[in-house]
Amino acid sequence: MSLTDDMHAQGRSAAAAPDGSAMLRRVGLFVLSAIIFIFCVLPFGLVLAISFGRKIDGAGWVWDFTLENYQRFFVGVLWPDEVTFLYLQQLGYSFYFAIIASLVAVLTALPFTLLLTRLGRSAQALWLVFIMASLSLSEVFIVMGWDILLSNNSGLPKLFKETGLTQWLKDTGYFQTLRDWGLANPRNVKFKTSDFATILTMSYLVWPYAVILLYPALSRIDPALAEAARTMGAGRWTVTRTVTLPAIRLPLFGTTLLLFVFLLGTYVTVTVFAAPNKHTTAVAIYTNIRGANLNAPFGAAQAVMLLVAAGVCLYLGHLFNRRSEAR
Amino acid sequence: MPMLNRRALLKTGAAGIAASTLASPLIAQNRSIRIGSYGGYFEDSFKTHVYPEFTKATGIEVESITQPNSSDWLVTLQQAVAAGNIPTDISLFARDTMIKASRIGDLIAPLDMAKITGAGNLDSYFVFEGNDGPQGVGAMSWFSAMVFNPNEVETPASWADFWDSSLFEASLGLGRNYNAGLLDFTAATFFDGAETMMSNDGIVAIIEKVAELKPNVALWWTAESQMEQSMKNGDVVAGQYYLDVANLMALDGFPIKPTFPKEGNLQDYGSWCLTAGSDKGDEAAEFMNFSSEPSTQALMSRKIGTAPLVDKAMTDLTDDEFNFVSGAPAIKPAYEAYLDNETFIKESWDKMLAEV
Repeated sequence: MSLTDDMHAQGRSAAAAPDGSAMLRRVGLFVLSAIIFIFCVLPFGLVLAISFGRKIDGAGWVWDFTLENYQRFFVGVLWPDEVTFLYLQQLGYSFYFAIIASLVAVLTALPFTLLLTRLGRSAQALWLVFIMASLSLSEVFIVMGWDILLSNNSGLPKLFKETGLTQWLKDTGYFQTLRDWGLANPRNVKFKTSDFATILTMSYLVWPYAVILLYPALSRIDPALAEAARTMGAGRWTVTRTVTLPAIRLPLFGTTLLLFVFLLGTYVTVTVFAAPNKHTTAVAIYTNIRGANLNAPFGAAQAVMLLVAAGVCLYLGHLFNRRSEAR
Repeated sequence: MPMLNRRALLKTGAAGIAASTLASPLIAQNRSIRIGSYGGYFEDSFKTHVYPEFTKATGIEVESITQPNSSDWLVTLQQAVAAGNIPTDISLFARDTMIKASRIGDLIAPLDMAKITGAGNLDSYFVFEGNDGPQGVGAMSWFSAMVFNPNEVETPASWADFWDSSLFEASLGLGRNYNAGLLDFTAATFFDGAETMMSNDGIVAIIEKVAELKPNVALWWTAESQMEQSMKNGDVVAGQYYLDVANLMALDGFPIKPTFPKEGNLQDYGSWCLTAGSDKGDEAAEFMNFSSEPSTQALMSRKIGTAPLVDKAMTDLTDDEFNFVSGAPAIKPAYEAYLDNETFIKESWDKMLAEV
């Protein structure tokens, strides 16, 4: 029911029965609007207002109306004497990590969820409960876990060393290649900091969401469709490509988009696992706002730009959805 | 039953009145103060070793308030004071944060130094003169020192050794923030120290020198725990870390050893500051007096691992105890540059880190 329908219905019921229920509804609507206003609109308005503030070097910031923070986002603080695209580069890395990690999560969750829907009911329920439960782990916790798993003395590098893989890499000369890629120091392989660790942890972070979002769509696919295609002689791969995937195209795209937007704001994973030259806007926002800088206005301007970028992506996604639905 | 109830009520009531009359002189003397310090081991040591001594000496009870650190606490304090709250009577601030707090205004109150005579034990540098008079009394000092893994590398003699890729390729753990110390180390090693930091050209030159170090850095840490884990895990074999914590880790058997290279280590210090609007000015003065006493400074060195702000000769610290928490030479952070030119330094530093 759309909002206008709802209002019409309300009007009718108010006319028909001037009793408490219409009143109650109106109060309910008012309370809900107030909550949305206080917890969504107001904070966002505040961020927007702060983004026009001015930083005073060596102290805090003051309210003002200046576009300098936005200008700095595009060309740096020294413009026009000097130009830097540092902040655009950070926004670029926000997109880079979020796109790859959401794709990895969805592409690995897809076959898993397909297999899941073919299990018996109770097995499905068990798996879903397990996956839901893993959502209770916070980002910090997950990052700590992977940090240990990738550490020199207790994780993957130790495994490399103990199994002789490190020595083998050194003997065959591949070790030098890894050093060139920044995945080794003179003693052993290392995975912190690396794109590998960052993307791995980010996709791990959203993987349960991917399964839960894909599950309803995949469980609704009529198995008769695939069976019919198989009886007509289509191979397994042809069935997947021409029957299954087109049927779930929209949920697949929607899930990727949602995870992508979710990952745009990843903070802990990036600070711990990404090299400083690949740090994202989320990290930059935090370093500006925290006490060492007290530059909330520039942090707020970066937050607004990140939001605008995410909004543009969602809008493009919406357009794409509409076009493929129309087809 | 009702009788019994009434009687019980009368009894407790009488007892209550008796207790309150008895207790009233006690309540009048029951003075208290809230003091902030950095949470974790640091705050715990204050609660077990320092505050009880203060209460014993003055009768003033201490409620310990947890600060995340110096700079983030400034944000919390600012918001709380704006909302009309006073989250603590005394805060612990590093010098740069204290200067910021003073410049923002209405956050830390001027102190009545006539009541804090003990501050005379400290070098006058440690009593901070803000816009409205004295606003901070030195509490303790700490070193950000060169550390290394003695099982993996020889003791480096100079910070310049860190630039040697044959020794430290992808092996160092250094501070990620522009004001974490690397600029000061580099300035002291290759330039004229804080003086070079006073001009934009000087800063650019120092940052270019730091850029040469990038291939040797495995970890740019922001949280203390990151560096601690990485030293324990062997992810890094050398870098910069807090002298006191490094010594404590070494005592626990971890492969870490702090050292004073020939250029020295970075010495910063914390100050006690009274929150504006707090009505505990007198108690705060007594605490600052207590904290400035050589015996308290020695107590903190022994129990918390901070360096004393009074001359070693005034304390009863042994050479071993003193060397555990302090050393020479000491490099002072380029506070002025960091404060007056912070936006330029931060952006240039971030640009350097962001270059591939």
